[in-house]
This record gives sequence, structure tokens and C-alpha cells, in this order.
Amino acid sequence: MLARIGLEPGDEEFYAGQLSGILEHIDRLQQLDTEDIPPTAQVVEIASRLREDESRPSLTQEEALANAPAAVNGSFRVPSIQEET
Amino acid sequence: MTDDLTQLTIKEASRLLRLGSISAADLVTAHVQRIERLDQHVKAFLRFTPEVWEKQADEADRRLRQGDAPPLCGIPLAVKDVLCVRGVETTAGSQILKGFRPPYTATAVARLFEAGAVMLGVTNCDEFAMGSSTENSGYFPTRNPWDLERVPGGSSGGSAAAVAAGEAMIALGSDTGGSIRQPAALCGVVGMKPTYGRVSRYGLIAFASSLDQIGPFARSVDDAAITLSLMSGLDPLDATSSDRAGMEVLNNFGAGVKGMRLGVPREYYDVKGIEPGVKSAIDAALAVLRTQGAEVVEVSLPHTDYGLAAYYIIAPAECSSNLARFDGVRYGMSEVDAPNITEQYLETRRKGFGSEVRRRVMLGTYALSSGYYDAYYLKAQKVRTLIKRDFDEAFKQCDAIVSATSPTVAFPIGSKTQNPLSMYLCDVLTLGGNLAGLPGISVPCGTSHGLPVGLQVLGPQWGENVVLRVARSYEEASGVKTQVADVV
Repeated sequence: MLARIGLEPGDEEFYAGQLSGILEHIDRLQQLDTEDIPPTAQVVEIASRLREDESRPSLTQEEALANAPAAVNGSFRVPSIQEET
Repeated sequence: MTDDLTQLTIKEASRLLRLGSISAADLVTAHVQRIERLDQHVKAFLRFTPEVWEKQADEADRRLRQGDAPPLCGIPLAVKDVLCVRGVETTAGSQILKGFRPPYTATAVARLFEAGAVMLGVTNCDEFAMGSSTENSGYFPTRNPWDLERVPGGSSGGSAAAVAAGEAMIALGSDTGGSIRQPAALCGVVGMKPTYGRVSRYGLIAFASSLDQIGPFARSVDDAAITLSLMSGLDPLDATSSDRAGMEVLNNFGAGVKGMRLGVPREYYDVKGIEPGVKSAIDAALAVLRTQGAEVVEVSLPHTDYGLAAYYIIAPAECSSNLARFDGVRYGMSEVDAPNITEQYLETRRKGFGSEVRRRVMLGTYALSSGYYDAYYLKAQKVRTLIKRDFDEAFKQCDAIVSATSPTVAFPIGSKTQNPLSMYLCDVLTLGGNLAGLPGISVPCGTSHGLPVGLQVLGPQWGENVVLRVARSYEEASGVKTQVADVV
């Protein structure tokens, strides 16, 4: 599923019930005519700022891996995503 | 004597520190002793940071001796568990981040450290700041210092409770739909959400990026104002941070309300579910402001009834995207031995996220999914425009908007956890300020059934000084002082 959250038995009904209640409330938006209304994604007017494209100090490899649940050879370890051939 | 030091405001404490009557170490010790006595009941803190406070208090005392003390020198500070502090475990109230020690410090926190504040610890909150009661914490619920059987509000309930209980002089929170103002109201302290962009969000664990703002809790409007001014301003690390000078929030803020027009939105005044005791406290507050020379006018925010619906699309949509990073690969909890990467994601997130977070991630994923995007997310963004226009129109007729912060006082623990929508309605008077990017404050304005009521003041974007001016005038004229709860 898209949310990438595992469910336990019974969860599906539990969340389906709650989410339909919330969606029912949300459906009131359909009462509004918004045909000519522009969407707001960013609420204050702030001009985009660009920075110089120059190298800056960043985390060391050690710092970046310090919180890793599993690390091997200086990398994050994850289950293999390809079958061995 | 030591307990008395936990009742002070920044102004009072700073005077004693500079006179040399007390040291920063004394001030910190007084707070730590109070925490040791009371926090077993209140449970405002998730963890304490003695290694930080010892160093910072020493440094504060050194600077006091040298006579170059910065504005918050020695002031005890509590930090919500969503703000990263280098080397200090930061978990967003979630099991999924248990053990995470950030490699950097949030700009807002770093600025308060530079101003001399002393960090006592990390405060509890609803998981990923999603909730209005702090019951969604992945660790334990926090209790309201005024009645331990009731919630402190949320999501920044730990920060509000810490300040209310005299366990910290100031605290930081984050406000996405009311998460600073609502707990401030329920705990009887001052809490302020700035204009979107006023305070850098760098180092804030993101919930809904277009709505989130960091702000202070304090025991007086002056303290909130000074704290906010010190954490505001441009930060190259947050592209949405404004280059306006932080100090402008203090402009003219002591000038009183004489000649100001204060708008009372009829949709807020008569909002569904507002308690009679809350309403009479607001009426009394309006009367105080009138005697100070303000003109109170009725205004209208006609799309108020759609605010909650728009919010509960936009916030979950942004959260589902922001929380995708918790995949068990780079930090936090992980099912490292899962048979494949998909199982690793599913199991890590099933075990790591609590039910409110799961609910919102599912809702947000649904609202953004192909085929539903226009009907939900785009529609909500258009309604957001209508809500912002409502405020623009209202501010043509008044300088600031005044209402209750929360329709109710603090409610009993467990009373709203079964029905998510009833919990969401706690924020019905605050979330409009987030959708429109406005600055807002909650100040204590008396009690209903013995529990604190908060007065909300909203201003136009970048009008923090106007908001603070109204709040300060009310605080001064009403004589309603922010009190420290006795707890036990």
C-alpha cells in the first residue's frame, strides 16, 4: 500500500471506520465553488533565494552514519533489492 | 527561597542575576529541585540534559561576572522534542526516532543558546506534533498542572505544562494548527505562534512544512516578546525564513490599545461547542480592552466552517510526504533483518508509528494519490486561498482579531481519544491562523470552573508587534497575572 505502513489484523476495519468519518467531514469542501480561485501553496510572499554554488562543510561520513540502524563498510545496510544471479 | 526563583519572569530574574543577588547556577538549581519534586506528577519532560545545563550555567555565570551578559543569560529553557539539539536525544515524541541524536542544532534553539539561555531538558509532545492533548506521545501522556486528571493540550503540552508548573521559565514549541496557542490556553501561560517565515524552521522535525512555525511559551507577554525577537530573522538554512529584523516584533508594543480597532469574528465568538464559562471570560476580556480605549467591532470570517476540512487535507498530505523519510534506513527504529526492503519499510513503520500518525499518513497518502489529487489536495489549497482572503478582508476593518483560543478548558484525559474528529475540533479557532500564515498569541484571561481560559489575538502577517501590543495591554490592565500552578 502507498503509505508503506504495515497493518495488524483488525487494523483495516478500525482505520477504515475512522477515516470515513473524517472524509465525510472533509466532503463539505465540495459545496464551495472554487473554479476561479487560485490554490495557495505558500502563504507568505517570500522571494526565492539562491545561494552561490560552492562547496561548504557538511557532515562527515562518520557523523552521517552515527544514527544508522545498520552500517557496513561506511554505508547504510539494507536488505538486497535484487536476486543473486 | 529556591521555589520563589521558579516564579520569576525573565525581567525579574535578569535583574537579580545582574545585581549579583543570585547566580545562574542558583536559578538552574531552583528549577531542577522543583522538577525533582513535581515532574513525577506532571510528566512535562521526556528527558533531562544535565550535561548541557551545567556547562551553560557555568558560562552564564562567567559572563555575568565579566559584565557582558547577553539578554537571556542564565534563563532556564525547555525545548519541545521536535527541535534538534546536537548530541541530545530528539525523538518527536515517537518510538520510531528512539535513540536519535541529531548531528546539528535547530537555528531557533542555537539563537537562544547564543542569547545565554540554559537548557534543562526535552519536553513531551504528541507524536510528530500531531494532536491536541499530548496523549498521542509515544512515551506517556503529560498532565495539566492545574488538574492532574486533565490534559495540558497539545501538541506542545510538555512545554506548556513545564512553564505552568514553574519547571522552566520559558519553553519552545511548534504550532502547525494551534499546537502552541491551545496548550498555552489550557495551561494558563502565554504562547505565541509567529508569522510563517518569521522563525527559521531549520532543525525542526517537519510535520506540515507550509504551516509549521516555532514559537515561545512564557509567563508574561514581555518574556514571550523578547524570546521571540531573539530567535527570529533570516537563516540561510531555511529558504522560507524572512529577512525582516527580529527586533521589529518589539516595535511600539508597549503603546497600549487606545484608538485601536479590535475585530471579533462572529463565527469564532459563537463557534459550535464553546463553553459558557469560556465565553464569559472572553466577554470580560473585551470589556477590559474597551476600557483601555480600544474599539471592538464585529467582523466576519465566512469560510470558518471549511477551515478544519481544508486543514485535514493539507496537513496530512504534507505529513505523509515529510514522514516518508522514516524508513528504517538512516536513523531510528528499524527492522534491519526483514527479508526485503518493502517488508523493512512496512514493519519499521508499523512498529514505530502510533495510531494518530498512521491515520494521518494514510489520509495524506490518499489525498495525494493519483485520481484524488484534484478533488482533495488542490481543492483544499483553493479553500486555503478563500480563508486567507477572509482574513485580508477582516484586517481592512480592524487592527487585530480577538477570540477565545480554545472553545473549551482542559478536558479529562481519555475523553477525546476514541473520536479523532472531536480532538481535531480543539483547533478550530487556531488553525485559520496557520492556513493564513498569521501571527497569534494566547494570553491567560481568567478561569472557567477553576481552569485557565486563553484569549487569542491574531494579527496581519508580520504584525507580531500589533498582536503583542494588544496582549500586553490586556495583561497589564486586567491584572490577570500568569501564575505558577501549585500542582501538589
